[in-house]
Amino acid sequence: MPREALTVKGDDMDELLSKDEFRTALEDAIKGREAKNASFSMAWANGELKREHFARWAENHYHYVGPFADYLAYIYAHTPDHATDAKDFLLQNMYEEELSDVRHTDLLIRFAEACGTTRERVMDERNMNAVTRGLQGWCYAVAMREHFAVATAALVVGLESQVPSIYRKQYPPLIEAYGFGEDDVEFFDLHITSDEVHGERGYQIVLDYADTPELQQRSLDLVRAGAEMRFAYTKSLYDTYVAPDLERV
Amino acid sequence: MPTIRYVTSGCAVDFADGDDVNMLRVAIRNECHVPYRCASGNCGTDRVHVEDGHENLSAPRRRERERLGDLLDDGWRLACQTYVSGDCSVTWDPDQTALDERATDRSLPDAVNERLARRWLSAEDTD
Ligand code: FES
Repeated sequence: MPREALTVKGDDMDELLSKDEFRTALEDAIKGREAKNASFSMAWANGELKREHFARWAENHYHYVGPFADYLAYIYAHTPDHATDAKDFLLQNMYEEELSDVRHTDLLIRFAEACGTTRERVMDERNMNAVTRGLQGWCYAVAMREHFAVATAALVVGLESQVPSIYRKQYPPLIEAYGFGEDDVEFFDLHITSDEVHGERGYQIVLDYADTPELQQRSLDLVRAGAEMRFAYTKSLYDTYVAPDLERV
Repeated sequence: MPTIRYVTSGCAVDFADGDDVNMLRVAIRNECHVPYRCASGNCGTDRVHVEDGHENLSAPRRRERERLGDLLDDGWRLACQTYVSGDCSVTWDPDQTALDERATDRSLPDAVNERLARRWLSAEDTD
């Protein structure tokens, strides 16, 4: 990714965008920063990784997605009662992460174990790298400090809504190129579809409740920042764990 | 441009050539009122009968195969699990609910499961 593409800021807006214009602007804020195009994702899709790289991915990914219900709970706590649909969406999203089916982090750990690491290693926060720690901290900060529509934009539109496009590219090679069983990779299968709906409902909340030019502008800025954070996180996995292996060869 | 026809609600939604789109996501975005709950292939609330265009739908993956079983052969799909790459038409019962008690949680204590079953399933389903 060209460096400029990571640092371009949106023009400040002084007029409220229509919902259609705002949706297009939100979609554009992610473009050029999609994590599916980061080096680790590309190597994954091209069948170039080894099981130990997936193990390191899982040991990092757990600390980004593991607290997702916590992030949402902070947003929930400062969403006003009159925004009932937004509150319900957040609560349902939390419930689906944790309770409605197999707990999502347990599916992640199942995959990690198939890659040769252990539950203990995955849950040990000392095994995440610095960029993952930064992404996790950013998610907490946004969830605690931003207006609920802006935080939803950042975490659900900027981050979660990218998941289907990432995992649709990464799921087939897990089975076909890397030889995992369907059971091992259920984490990905589940998120391909559940995050389509979370992403769509997230867009609706943001379109409905970011209803001033300032909130729209802030949402766009944080969607852009979220996409950059996820891109940087994914790229750092390659830089930290894959590139040194390639150099050694 | 390909079109998804949500016949039961009278909705028709076009999408760009070359795209493949999630059937439930498109329905939610365009207010086509397909009933749904879990969005993860677990409850079956969003089952739709494919009237036309089977050939333009993604192959069912494991969750959908397990959830629908023989219903798949009868032309049913789960909107949340299905990607569409060309024209198709679907129908459903607007009042349909989850398929059966397998829709309830697999990880909760029994008492919680019972409460969820009561909330999720209609009286006929639990009779
Ligand atoms: S909404 Fe539950 S299976 Fe699709």
